[in-house]
Amino acid sequence: MSLENMRLPTGFDALEPFVDRWAIKGANNRLQQRLNSQESERASFFNIGKDLVPPALELLDQKPLHELDEKEQRLMDLVLSLAHISLAVEIQRDHEPAHAESARHITINRATSDKDTNLCN
Amino acid sequence: MTTTVQAFAPVSKEDLAFIGTDPIPTEPYYRSDYFELEREAIFKRSWIQMGHICEIPEPGSFIVRAFEAGNASLLITRDRDGEVRAFHNACPHRGTQLVQVDGGKRSRFTCPYHGWTFSNQGKLLAAPEADKFYINPSDCTLPAVSVGVCAGFIFINLDKSPRQSLQEYLGPLVAELEKLPHARATTYSEYTYEVDANWKLTYDNFQENYHLRFLHPRSGEAAGGPQNPYGYPTRYGFHDPHRSQTIWSNPDAKPLPFQAFAFGKGARHAMEAGYKLEDKEYFGIFPNLFILGAAMTPFSQCIMPIAANKTRSIIRLYWIGEDDSASKRFAREYAMATALDIHCEDRAVIEAGHRGLASGALSHLHFQSQEVLCRHLYNQVDKRVQAYKAELENRGASE
Ligand code: FES
Ligand SMILES: [Fe+2]
Repeated sequence: MSLENMRLPTGFDALEPFVDRWAIKGANNRLQQRLNSQESERASFFNIGKDLVPPALELLDQKPLHELDEKEQRLMDLVLSLAHISLAVEIQRDHEPAHAESARHITINRATSDKDTNLCN
Repeated sequence: MTTTVQAFAPVSKEDLAFIGTDPIPTEPYYRSDYFELEREAIFKRSWIQMGHICEIPEPGSFIVRAFEAGNASLLITRDRDGEVRAFHNACPHRGTQLVQVDGGKRSRFTCPYHGWTFSNQGKLLAAPEADKFYINPSDCTLPAVSVGVCAGFIFINLDKSPRQSLQEYLGPLVAELEKLPHARATTYSEYTYEVDANWKLTYDNFQENYHLRFLHPRSGEAAGGPQNPYGYPTRYGFHDPHRSQTIWSNPDAKPLPFQAFAFGKGARHAMEAGYKLEDKEYFGIFPNLFILGAAMTPFSQCIMPIAANKTRSIIRLYWIGEDDSASKRFAREYAMATALDIHCEDRAVIEAGHRGLASGALSHLHFQSQEVLCRHLYNQVDKRVQAYKAELENRGASE
């Protein structure tokens, strides 16, 4: 991949294929994406993403959140999506489809992560 | 060296029998005439939680909250002296709801109908064509509502002269609540959902652990363990009309790898904030609030009755300080998503419970000893409903 196509900080190219679907602004949007996703896409995102979360946080922790550049912000959004997806893949496992039916009735009105993301609620 | 496994013994059935042992009538859980009595006997005269002080951090901040069980909408403000005030959100000219947004910053409010303008202390500041009225418009203030704050939680009481102050009402729990992370919270995450079920059925679901292994086989895996398969609490407390319990911590819980990583982050932040991870106190504040004092998921659930068969739950996780690092932001998102996963799994069965009871097929339902908090809620509700009925009869007799 050429440099200008990179949408994430160096070292995180393995996550590039997931940017379009999973670099999502807003906690409620992340929840909805989890509930509307397929098992296979959740599994491939989680399997590649889980080991990259610790180094991603290590990198992102070096700056105040409001100073993250575009690439870093994308990485942050991916990490936050992984928080939701991990619950489906690691915890719910085969129960996720049934679980998702009940979760559809919940709306996240506000999350601390919604700050600094230009979200209009 | 051998470690002896401390066998867990739940509070015994004999020790809890003083709360009652009889089957409980089902009608209070679905009949709308009973709900109307609860509205008058409980919701219009108890202290009801409406928000948190962090929502109105500075002079000029305000929130507006719907309170269906009290047939009311509340406007809660912080005035220029920093004082918290509550009003009915109703313009004294002809009753129009004055403020139509959820909250914000504004120190004066103008009625959309004829332009009367009020201060955040409830005073009428201006009324167009004031001299055309036959009254003195400056006597027309926003109807004030009693308000109190404990552990950061804002409570209101619709009673014109509440029988007890909020502090008297909460009694010995005040000191306990003030120690919780919630008391120092400056922000929160929130999710809501509605169920087609009575508010007591909704509440009861969150005050017994008997159901955990059936409804939460995955999300609640760590709640029970070999010593305590149902995850029963280690202690119950009764502080009429409120109650409390200490949640048991499973020493054999084995978090999965990613979960362990996320919890580790959360645990570090909780410890930095000075909280003990082993503290897990639950407070059921009568009538419709419960608070969990767990350091990593300090949350509250407000169970808002809408009708006899409809309830809104508002769940909040309270945090001290904004997200100040990516790790903290991630840990909080994970904690919220975890709590949400457990919450949503109860929804369907709460509705199923309501449908079964509302069919009228059963005259009574049964609580085992470890469902004692559900029984205690019913006792406290019914005591007030019966007292209110007697009050109505006496009023009728003396007229
Ligand atoms: S009803 Fe508010 S100004 Fe007329
Ligand atoms: Fe549950």
